[in-house]
Amino acid sequence: MSAAPVLGRHPATLAPASADARGDALEAGGQKRFVVAFLASCLGALAIVLAFNVVIDPYALAGTGIVPTAVEPDRSIKLDLLQNLKRGPQLLIMGSSRSRQAEPAYLQKLTGLRGFNAGVTGGTSADEYVFARFAADLFPHQRRRYIWFTDIGLAGGGVLPQLAQDPRARRYLRGGARFGLGDVKSYLSTDATKASWRVFEKCVLGSCRSHIRFNADGSLTNQSLHYLPEHAKSLQAAVAKELAGVRAHHETLAQARRDLEAPGRFFYFDRALAFMNSRGEVPVIVLNPVYPTVLAALNRYGFPGRRATLEMVAKLHRRFRFVFVDAENIRTWGGNARDWSNATHINRGNMRTLLRYVVAHSDGALR
Amino acid sequence: MLFNSYSFLFGFLPSVLLGWWGLARWKSVRLAFLTGASWFFYAWWDWRYLPVLILATTIDYIAGLWIARIEDETRRRLLLTVSLTTNIGILAYFKYAGFFLGSLEGVGKAVGLGAQLPSLHVVLPIGISFYTFNSMSYTIDVFRRRIEPTRNALEYTTFVGLFPHLIAGPIVRFTDLAGQLRRLTPKLTAEQASLGAFFLSCGLVKKLLIADRLHPYVAQLYASHAHLGLLTGWAAAVGYSLQLYFDFSGYSDMAVGLAFLLGFRFPQNFNSPFKAENISDFWRRWHMSLSTWFRDYLFIPLGGSQRGPRRTVVNLVVTMFLAGLWHGAAWTFVVWGLVHGTFLGGHAVLRRLGLTPPSVTVNRIVTFMLVCGAFVIFRSPSLPVAGDILSAMAGFRGLDGAARLHALLPVEFGVLIASLLVFVNVAPNTWQVRIRPRVVDGLATGLAAAIAVMTISQPHPFIYFQF
Repeated sequence: MSAAPVLGRHPATLAPASADARGDALEAGGQKRFVVAFLASCLGALAIVLAFNVVIDPYALAGTGIVPTAVEPDRSIKLDLLQNLKRGPQLLIMGSSRSRQAEPAYLQKLTGLRGFNAGVTGGTSADEYVFARFAADLFPHQRRRYIWFTDIGLAGGGVLPQLAQDPRARRYLRGGARFGLGDVKSYLSTDATKASWRVFEKCVLGSCRSHIRFNADGSLTNQSLHYLPEHAKSLQAAVAKELAGVRAHHETLAQARRDLEAPGRFFYFDRALAFMNSRGEVPVIVLNPVYPTVLAALNRYGFPGRRATLEMVAKLHRRFRFVFVDAENIRTWGGNARDWSNATHINRGNMRTLLRYVVAHSDGALR
Repeated sequence: MLFNSYSFLFGFLPSVLLGWWGLARWKSVRLAFLTGASWFFYAWWDWRYLPVLILATTIDYIAGLWIARIEDETRRRLLLTVSLTTNIGILAYFKYAGFFLGSLEGVGKAVGLGAQLPSLHVVLPIGISFYTFNSMSYTIDVFRRRIEPTRNALEYTTFVGLFPHLIAGPIVRFTDLAGQLRRLTPKLTAEQASLGAFFLSCGLVKKLLIADRLHPYVAQLYASHAHLGLLTGWAAAVGYSLQLYFDFSGYSDMAVGLAFLLGFRFPQNFNSPFKAENISDFWRRWHMSLSTWFRDYLFIPLGGSQRGPRRTVVNLVVTMFLAGLWHGAAWTFVVWGLVHGTFLGGHAVLRRLGLTPPSVTVNRIVTFMLVCGAFVIFRSPSLPVAGDILSAMAGFRGLDGAARLHALLPVEFGVLIASLLVFVNVAPNTWQVRIRPRVVDGLATGLAAAIAVMTISQPHPFIYFQF
C-alpha cells in the first residue's frame, strides 16, 4: 500500500529526516503561502460571486433593486392592474406561470363572467391568498368565482420576496421575508450566477427592455407569447430533459407524504380556502396538466407525489368546500401533445380546450 | 450530513477544526470533543441509529481489552466470537435480514410452499458496513496479537467514530491510527493544512464537477435499459464505471483531506484502478482498504494461494462472493462478487498456464472492459435489467438509431466520457500529483474548490453511502 503525500516533495523523498533543516524551513514557508493563497482564492471567489449576485439580485431575494430582476415583476404589475379595474372581476384566475395562458375574455364567452388573470411567475399559495384578499378588499360587495391552477403538492409555504416587498401584499402576510441563510446558498450557486450574468448583459450592458406585456384583464398580450421565458427552443429537448429529471430523482410515497406534511406548507393554502368559503365562495382547483410522456414516466415509478396529493385533496375536502378538477392527463380533457411551450407549460390552444373542460366539470361553481 | 454540503463545509467543519486545534493542550478533552463531534455528525442523519454505533464500539473495546489480558485460548476465542457475532449480527439484522427472508420466501414459492414469511422493513443505518469492519479488524488483530489494545476508551471511540471515515471509509485499521491517536499532533502544520486543502479540493472537484455531471446521463441510460443498442449499452457501462470511480475516489480524497486537517493520515484507497493490467491488479488499486481487509481477514485465513491452484480459485470465489454481499443485500451484488471471483480465479489459472496476453495495452483494455461489464450488474436494480444492458453491449440488440443516440447519448456526454477515459488512463491520481507549494498552485486549487462548491445546489449523496 502506497501512502505518499504529494505536496512539494516527491513521494520517494518524503521522509522528514532526509531533508535538511533549511530546505524544510523553506518548504514550510511555501506551504503556508499555499494555504493562504488557497483560502484567499476559495473564499474570495465565493465572496465575489455572492456580492455580484446580491447586487444584481436576479431572483429578487435581497431586495437591492439596483437592476431589474431575472424574475418578472408581474406580482406588482398585476396588483396595479387589479387596482385600476373600474369594475371588480367576477372570476379570478390564479396560479403560477402555468395559468398565465388563460384568457379571461375567452372564459367570459364560456361563463358570462368578467374575469381577471392573477397568475404570476412562480406563484405560490401566498400569492393566491394575497390576490383573493386584495380583490375582496377592493371590491368588497362582490361574490367571486375562482379557477385556481395547482401542481402536484398543491401548496408551497414560502413567500417570495417579490410579493413581500410590495406594501399592498405585505399587509396580508405574516412576518416579513428576509434575506436568510437559504438565500445565501441560492446566491452562491452557478444557476444564480448564470441568471445574474444574463441580467447583467441585458440590463447593465444592454437596454434592459422586457417584452412581456399584459392586457387590462391580466392576460398576456399576443406579442408577449413569443417572449415567454418558459418557451423552449425545442419542445422535444425540453421533454427529454424533464424525462431525465424524472428518471434520476423519483421519490417514495413516504417522502411525498412527508413533504406534504411539512410545517407551514399549507398555511396560506388553508387560509385562502377558509377566506373564500367564509364569503360563500367555492373555488375550482385544477391540477395542472403534465406532458404525456413525462406523465407516463412518472406513472412507471408509481407517481407517489400524485397519490399523496390526492390523499391530501380528500383530507381538505373534509374541511373546505371546493371543486377539484384533475387535468393532469391531457386525454381526459382532449388536449394534444403539440401545443406546449415546454414539458410543463401548455399553450393557448390547449388552455382553451382545458378551460372548456374545467367549466363543464365545475359542478356549477362557475355559474 | 454530506461532505459536499454547505452545512458541512461552512458550519460543521470549521467548528470542529476550531474546537480540535483550540483544545490542543488537553488530549482527553480533545478526543472527547472529536468523538462527540463525530457522533453528532452521525446522528445528523438519524439519531436513532447512534446507539448501534456506540454499542458496537463499546463491545469491541471491552472485548479487545479482555482478549489481550486472558491467556486461555478457549476463552480468548469465545470473546472474539462474541465481538464478531455482535458486529456480524448487527450487519445481518440491519442489512441482510430482509433480503434473506425475501429470498427464502421466493424459494418457498418456487417449490410450492405458499407460506408467507414476515416482511422486515428495516432502515439501513448509514455507514454500518464500514464501522463494523473497522471494529472487527481491531478485535481480530488483538486476538492475533498483532496489536496492543488501547486502554484509553476515548482513543478507541475516536478510531471507530472519526467522522472522515465513518460513513464510507476508507476502512482504517487500528494499526494505521494507533500511534497517531497516542501522540496527537499538537499543532496544525503548514504541510498538513496544505495537503488537507489539496485533497479536499480534489475530492470536491471529482464529486461535484465530474461524478454529479455524469449522473443524469447514466440514470437515463439505465432507466432506458430495454431500448439500448451497442453504443448506448457501452455508454451506460463506461459512464457508470467513471461515475462510480469519481464519486467514490472523490469521497476518499475528501476523507483523506479532512483527516490531514485534523492531523491524521489515512491510507490510500484508490490508485488509478483503470490503469490496471489485470483483474488482480485492479483489486490492488480499487477500494484498497476493503480489498486488503478481505485479503487479510478472509482470503489468507482460508488458505490464500498456498494450497494449490484449485483451492486458490475456490478461495477467490468465496472471498469475492462475500465482498459482493458486503456491498448490499441484493442478488445483483452477489452476482457481481461471484463474477469478480470468477475473473480472479480465471486470471490465476491463465497466469499459471502462461496464457495471459503479453501486450500491456491489450491487458489494460480487456481488464477495463471486464470491469465495466461487471459494474453493469453492480449498478442495475435487478438482474434482468443487467441482462438487457449486457446483451446490448454484446451487440444482440443491434446498433442504435440516430433518434436513440440523440436522446440517450448527447454530444456533451460523449465528449465527457472520452475526455475522462483519457484522463483516467494518462493522468496521475491525487496521491501521485506533484503540486508545488507555490502561491499560484494555492490560488488554482482554491479556485477549483470554489467552482465545485458553487455547484452544490441539490447535493447528491455519495454512491457508497448506501453500503
